Amino acid sequence: MADGVIYGVFEPISFGGCTTVPELFRKRCREYGKATAHREKELGIWTSYSWTDYWNHSMWVGLALAKLGLKRGEVVSILSENRREWLYSDLGVVCMGGITSGVYTTDSAAQLKYLVNDSASTFLFLENDEQLDKWLEVRGEMPTLRKVILFDRDGLRDFSDPDVMFFDDLVAIGQGEAQAYPDRFDAEIDKAQSEDTAMLVYTSGTTGPPKGAMISHANMIFQMSGALPSLEVEENDEQLCFLPLCHVLERLVSTYIQLASGARINFAESGETVFENLQEVSPHTFVAVPRVWEKMYSRIQILRSEATAVGRWSLDQAVAAGAARQNFLEFGKSVPVAVAARYRLWDRLVLGNLRRMLGLDRLRRGGTGAAPISQDLLRWFHAIGVPLYEGYGATETSGIATFNDRDQNTFGTVGARMPGTEVRIADDGEILIRGPHVFKGYWNMPEKTAETIIDGWLHTGDVGRIGNDGALTITGRIKDIIITQGGKNITPAEIESRLKFSPYISDAVLIGDQRKFLTCLIMIDQENVEKFAQDNTVPFSDFASLCNAPEVQELIGEVVAEVNKSFARVEQIKAFRLIDVLLTAEDDELTPTMKLKRSFVEQKHKALIDSMYAA
Amino acid sequence: MSTPVLEIRNLETFYGPIMALRGVSLRVEEGQIVTILGANGAGKSTLLKTISGVMDPEKGEILLDGAPIQRKEPDHIVRAGIAHVPEGREVFPFLTVAENLAMGAYTRHDTADIRRDIEMVYDYFPILGERRDQQAGTMSGGQQQMLAIGRGLMVRPRVMLLDEPSLGLSPLLIKEIFAIIRRLNAETGTTMMLVEQNANVALNVADFGYVLEIGRIVMAGEARKLQASEDIQEFYLGNTGETQRGQRRWKRRKTWR
Repeated sequence: MADGVIYGVFEPISFGGCTTVPELFRKRCREYGKATAHREKELGIWTSYSWTDYWNHSMWVGLALAKLGLKRGEVVSILSENRREWLYSDLGVVCMGGITSGVYTTDSAAQLKYLVNDSASTFLFLENDEQLDKWLEVRGEMPTLRKVILFDRDGLRDFSDPDVMFFDDLVAIGQGEAQAYPDRFDAEIDKAQSEDTAMLVYTSGTTGPPKGAMISHANMIFQMSGALPSLEVEENDEQLCFLPLCHVLERLVSTYIQLASGARINFAESGETVFENLQEVSPHTFVAVPRVWEKMYSRIQILRSEATAVGRWSLDQAVAAGAARQNFLEFGKSVPVAVAARYRLWDRLVLGNLRRMLGLDRLRRGGTGAAPISQDLLRWFHAIGVPLYEGYGATETSGIATFNDRDQNTFGTVGARMPGTEVRIADDGEILIRGPHVFKGYWNMPEKTAETIIDGWLHTGDVGRIGNDGALTITGRIKDIIITQGGKNITPAEIESRLKFSPYISDAVLIGDQRKFLTCLIMIDQENVEKFAQDNTVPFSDFASLCNAPEVQELIGEVVAEVNKSFARVEQIKAFRLIDVLLTAEDDELTPTMKLKRSFVEQKHKALIDSMYAA
Repeated sequence: MSTPVLEIRNLETFYGPIMALRGVSLRVEEGQIVTILGANGAGKSTLLKTISGVMDPEKGEILLDGAPIQRKEPDHIVRAGIAHVPEGREVFPFLTVAENLAMGAYTRHDTADIRRDIEMVYDYFPILGERRDQQAGTMSGGQQQMLAIGRGLMVRPRVMLLDEPSLGLSPLLIKEIFAIIRRLNAETGTTMMLVEQNANVALNVADFGYVLEIGRIVMAGEARKLQASEDIQEFYLGNTGETQRGQRRWKRRKTWR
C-alpha cells in the first residue's frame, strides 16, 4: 500500500505505551484517580463515579471471580442494560484474562441459553429480576455455568438460590481477596498478551445461529490509535452511552475510546429518554445510529409545523443560511464574507438555540453508522452547525473500518479507510478489508472463519465502490442482491434508503428475488403518520387501523411512486404492503438497533408477500 | 358498512395547555355495548364529556346517526339522544327518587309515556320503586348508581354513556348492576358506551372494546379478542403469568396485539 504499512507484526500495536487493554486501563485509572469516569442517574439525580471506583470495582469483581474459579481464556456473559456495573464486570473479567460476551436485554430465554452454551460461559451477570426469570426458565440446560451474579436486588428480598449471588456480595468477596493478595490483580494484568481475545461479540446472523466474533486486545488498541484523532474525543469530554454495550460500536466508543481519551461516560436512563438525557448531558461527541438522527430531524420538522409564521420563517432562513455556507465548505472553497456574516447572524438568532434544544450545543463531532443514512439529512445537520460524519464498520473489523471526518468528508460515502488498513473491491463487487483491526475469527467455527478471512482479507459481505478520493460507497449486502425472473440484478439497499428518507417510512424491505417484479414491505413511522392522519382528519383507532386507512395507503403510495421515478422500469416497485403490527425490539424481525431483518421479514410476512404476487 | 349510531373522528380535547385526547377515532354500532378501557388519566372521562358536550373539542368530529354534534350545548345533545351517566353518579341529593327520574325526563313532554318509562325503571330496579319518596342523597352508593342509570334511561337515549358504573361498589353490587346493564341492552336495544377501570366486568358485558392510553387508542377489537390479548391480561386483568419464582415484579413491554 502507498502508506507503506507492512503487515506481519514486527512491533506490537500500542497506544499510550500500552499493548493491551488491561495495561491501558491500569494506567488511566492511576492517572485520573478521583476524577469522574462515569455518571449515572439515580432516582433522577446524576451521580458521579470516579476512575478509582472503576479500578476498585473491576479489581474486586475480577479477584472474586477468580476465587470462584474463573480461569484465563474463559468466557463470562453479561445480560444487562448499559450501566456502570456492566463496565466494571467487563474490565474485571478482561483484566483477569477472561473474555466478555454481551447479551441483548431483548433476547429471549432460548437465545440466552444458546449464547451461554455456545461461548461455554462459566459466569453470567444478570441485571435484575426480569433477566433472572429468563435464566430460571432454562437454568438446567446450561452445564458450563458456575455462578450467576445479579446487579439489582430490587424485588428479590426473599429470593435465595445456591447458584445465584448479588453483585455486592461478589464485591465483598473481591475486597477480601484484594486484602489477602494485594498484588494478584496487577500480576494478572501483566500476563495479558496483545493477541489474547478480549471479547466475543455475537453477530445477529440473518442466516443460521449467531456467531461469536473474537476481538483481541490488539484489535481494540489499534482502533484506539487509528480512530481517536478523527473522532475528536478529548480529555474531560462528555459522552452519552445509550446504544447497547453488546454492540461493538458502543463498546468501542464507551469503553475503549474512553480509556484512550479520558472522556466521561454518562449513561442514558433508557432508550426512551435519550433525547432528554442528551439535553442534560450536552455531549462533546456523540455517535448514534441513523434512526436517532432521523428522529431529531423529524422532531424539528414537527416543531416547525406547529410554530408561528414568524418562527417558521426564521427557521427556514437560518437553515438556508447554514446551507449556503455549507455549499462552500463542502467543496473546500472559502466562504465569502457575506455568506459567513449571514450565517453568523442566524446562528446567533436561531441555530444556536436549536442546537441547545437538541442538546448538541457543545457538540464537536457527531457520528453515524451501522445503517445507511440519507445525504440530505447529513447536509441538514451540517447546515444547522452540527458536524455529522458517516462511517462504516462491522463487528468483524472490531468497530470502525472507514470514516469521514473534518479533513475529508464526502457526503453519500462512508469515507476513507482507517490509516494503516487496506480496503479493496473484489471482482464481484464485495468490499474486502485487511489490517490490524480485522478480528481473530469466529469462536469455535474454524470453517466459518476460513470463509470470512481469506489471505488476511476480510470478506465483509457488503457491496460497494471506491471513489477517486479513496472514499468508499456502500451499495448493499451481497446476499441481499435480488435477481428478478427477468435476470436483472438489483441491490435493494439503494431503493430502500430512498424510501426511508420519507419521514413517513421508518424501514422498508424490497422483495423480488426470482419473482416477476419488485414489491416492497414497508414499516411506517408511527409518530409522523399519526400526525399526518390527525392533520388530515383521517380516522384511525389502533396501529393496524392506521396502516389500513385508505389515505395512509395513498400517502405511502405517493412516496413509492416518487421513488420509482428515479429508477428504471425493472427497478420500480409494482406493489407494496404495510406491516400493520407495531414491532418492538423483542420481535424476530427487528435488530436491537430497530432495523428490519430481511430473512425474518420474508418468513413472517409470507402471506402478505404472496398477496402482492397473487392475481 | 352501515352508518354507526355514534362515530368519532380525530377528536382532540385540551385542558388548557394539556392535550387530554390526542386524536381519538372510534365507532359504536347500533345496539352494541362498546367499552373504553384505560388507566387513570388516559382520557376516558374526557372522551365522554366531550361527546356529551360538557367539554368542547379543539378538533375532530362527533357524528350521531351521521349528523355532527360536536361543540353543541349539552342540552341539545341530550335532546339529540345521548344520555350521560357521569362518574360518581351525581344524583340530585335533596330530590326524591321519583323527582330525580322526572328530572331525567326534563326534555320530554309526553306525560303518559314518561309515566310508563318511570314504571319501567322501577321494574328494572325494584329497590328504586320501593324508595321512590326517599331523598336520593340518603341512599347507598349502589342505589344511587341505579338511580343515575335510571335517570339516564328517562331520556330514551339513542346512546347511553356510562362513566365507571362500578366505582366504589361491592363486587356483589357490581355483578348486579352489570347484569341489569346487559338486560337493558338486550331488551331495550339501547346502545351503550361504557367506560371502565374494571376491565374484567366490562369485557364480559361488552361486544367491542377500545384501549385508551395517554389520549390515544392503542388497541381495538372484539371484547373476546381483547380478553385473550397478553397485554390486556397483564395490564388490565392482572394475570402476570407464572414464573419459576412464583412472583414477579417487572412488567412486560406493551405491544398491543
